Amino acid sequence: MLSELKELWKFRELLWAMVERELRIRYKNSFLGFFWSLVNPLATVLVITVVFKYFLQNNTDNYSAYVLAAYLPFIFFQICLMDSAQSVLGALPIIKKVYFPREILPLASVIANFIHFLLAFVVYFAYLFVLWAVTGFESSPFTWKIGFLPVLLLVNFALATGVAFLVSAYNVFYEDVKYVVGVALYLMFFLTPIMYFSETVYYALRARGLDWAYYAYHLNPVATLTTAYRKTLVPTGQIEVQPGPGEAPVKMFMLDFNWGLFWITVAISFLFLVVGYAVFNKLKWRFVERP
Amino acid sequence: MSEVTVDVQDVRKSFFLSHSGSASLKTMLLWWRARANIERLDVLNGVSFKVGRGECVSLVGKNGAGKSTLLALVARVYKPTSGAVVTTGRVAPLLELGAGFHPDLSGIENVIFNSMMLGLTRKQARERADEIVEFSEIGSHIDAPVRTYSSGMQARLGFAVATHVDADVLIVDEVLAVGDIAFERKCYDFIEKFKAAGGSILFVSHSMPAVERFSDRVVWLSNGNIAAHGTAAEVIPQYQSAMFQP
Repeated sequence: MLSELKELWKFRELLWAMVERELRIRYKNSFLGFFWSLVNPLATVLVITVVFKYFLQNNTDNYSAYVLAAYLPFIFFQICLMDSAQSVLGALPIIKKVYFPREILPLASVIANFIHFLLAFVVYFAYLFVLWAVTGFESSPFTWKIGFLPVLLLVNFALATGVAFLVSAYNVFYEDVKYVVGVALYLMFFLTPIMYFSETVYYALRARGLDWAYYAYHLNPVATLTTAYRKTLVPTGQIEVQPGPGEAPVKMFMLDFNWGLFWITVAISFLFLVVGYAVFNKLKWRFVERP
Repeated sequence: MSEVTVDVQDVRKSFFLSHSGSASLKTMLLWWRARANIERLDVLNGVSFKVGRGECVSLVGKNGAGKSTLLALVARVYKPTSGAVVTTGRVAPLLELGAGFHPDLSGIENVIFNSMMLGLTRKQARERADEIVEFSEIGSHIDAPVRTYSSGMQARLGFAVATHVDADVLIVDEVLAVGDIAFERKCYDFIEKFKAAGGSILFVSHSMPAVERFSDRVVWLSNGNIAAHGTAAEVIPQYQSAMFQP
């Protein structure tokens, strides 16, 4: 693996050129350009907020900020996988002719989407600022906890890259992979705390004596990460959850950050990265010879 | 022979063909049934030859004789099943029509990207861009998206890129036929200059006059084996008489 990394380093300029190319191509023929990548998350968050706040009458403070803080990482993960699934397959004509480290293809997809993700955070903070100015949080939207954001981004990047390696490599041989990924991501949206809180899951399962299921639920690294993003980014406010079946919802502060679950997520993410890269390297010479 | 730039050592290459068409999860799940459908195809059965500095070696042979596979092995696109291909310096394949160009990007954006793909740094690619554009004779269209180019323009641009990346070995796979006569002539002039400057060329063509003109040596491939190997004057008559025999 070390020699593969060395070779990749030799081609780093090509990697940046490919990232630049991906960003350029995406909005080449659209008038509003980057704006389009914000339309989806903002519209989705708006709809979720209306449904939960007004139809289901959830009384959480700054509910939309919680949804946005969780949905941005989720959509990054989603688009990353959908894009990288096609990254190698779409480049088959060219990789049949020219040599360069094949891992550049999925990597460029992930990095291009990561750059979008970072830009979306700028919009997130602007949104938070507006929310603060209009409704007035008790505390400033910018706390020292934001310093933890780079750590979360790094773990998230490792996870996305690892899974992208696996998906892009297997999708060359079995095009069913991208359909499986599509369905899995759709279901994952509901099994990740985006519309609700991990506290909701905690109380729901504890009331039924299924404490272990709460931990099983968080073996999904995306679930743990979105909760971590929320606890890092959303200023203190009270959320509303139902403490048990048939009980009235109560307002409470979020549970303390669960470091144990976080370290497990870190381990899973980097395991995906290492295993994904190893699998990709094993398969990459066969891409051009697929039966 | 002077310094060797391409050394093909007893190379074998086999492919696995599936008759069920594209790969899918179904073929994997039904592997015991699918296995019968997978057929091994030996494309090259132990081929050896060398190309020296300033030398042009042509590969001739029928369709399916293994010429393009051999070129792809030299370009490091495939790994040989056994044997080895050792190359010295930068190998630049001349990309066939449009491959490697993104239709939505402009000519100049594609030039920079493609020359980086062939091994130049970004700085070198930028410096070289003007020269490449001039050689391609695309002129002011260079800022228009490549999808608006004619096939001749795309071929010219592709040739211009491959010839300006300071390659030590140029791989030319039957791509010169698309330009007009003037551009073809320009390409041929370039190939001669390139050889004179010490570059090596691996050439595949079905046009015997072109092969005769450039080749120092000719390798005749037949069913994955070397049928004959020698100067153009020796090999081409043999090859042609074999081709016309029933």
